[in-house]
Amino acid sequence: MSGGACVFFDGRRLSTAPPGRELTLDGRCLAGEPVRGAYAHVCALADPDAALRFDEPEVQGARRDAMAWWVPLLGDSLVCISTFALDPSRFAGAVTVARDPSAFRDDPFARLFPGTVVETDLFSEVAPPAGPVVERYAGVPWPGGRFGASADTQSE
Amino acid sequence: MDLSPGSSFPDLDLPDHTGRPRTLSELAAGDPVALVTLRGWWCPKEQRYMRELVRLQDEFEVAYARIVVVSVDAPEVQSAFRAGLGARFTFLSDAERRWLPRLGLAETTDTTHEPYLPAGFTLFPDLTIHAAYNGYWYLGRATMEELRRDMRDISRSVREDWAL
Repeated sequence: MSGGACVFFDGRRLSTAPPGRELTLDGRCLAGEPVRGAYAHVCALADPDAALRFDEPEVQGARRDAMAWWVPLLGDSLVCISTFALDPSRFAGAVTVARDPSAFRDDPFARLFPGTVVETDLFSEVAPPAGPVVERYAGVPWPGGRFGASADTQSE
Repeated sequence: MDLSPGSSFPDLDLPDHTGRPRTLSELAAGDPVALVTLRGWWCPKEQRYMRELVRLQDEFEVAYARIVVVSVDAPEVQSAFRAGLGARFTFLSDAERRWLPRLGLAETTDTTHEPYLPAGFTLFPDLTIHAAYNGYWYLGRATMEELRRDMRDISRSVREDWAL
């Protein structure tokens, strides 16, 4: 899946290699300098059958809530946020990474899959999504991706 | 500064409603943008117009189009205003008025708040100006239908697969 990166989740630990369920997230979350001593709120299950479609209203609703209040609530604590994709249409949950885990009980993605708090040094800081776009780009897990550079230029 | 159609809108660098530094090009992220400047949260006309924009965001969020709002309100004030409106787009704070004079968008009749003139710009992803609206009089602002039309014109121009 172009623009994505993989992590593995066994129900308790996140890593960049097996064992665990393979989940694709916004590649920017693993691309920069890692933030040491952060906390990931993993709203996903290790069960390989635990999935919803990205287009389900409850999944769209969680993305809207992330834009509206979840990211602002985290403020400077936020490191990065990404949904998990299994393929271009199926959603396996989301991860929010923050320097302080105290707000994780309010995570809107925990309405979809139960949250697990994991201490982690894997993730790098990514500017939060700008909104209001909640759709995905060419199957890249939200909020990653964008249309090609050629689309930036006026063609007429 | 020339802010007429065909010119490039400057790549504003300002804190957003959470205080994070942002650039306009980063917020565009390869998509068309409706950029709106506001007097501020206190103005009844702005409150009315923002409620219209919030209704429009339901379409923009599935249409790969962006909304960005600029005002002189402090980030914490913008954040409260945004939350009260239920907005899911980004506000940029020019509380220090770094960009206001350079853009030539000072609302000179309000000497109390020194705010932005209400204006609107529809932008290509590379920040080229497609259309400009002067909203000093409320009815001069872009209607939601005009914003839809502009986003369609821009998208038709930049999306290579538009005609598929």
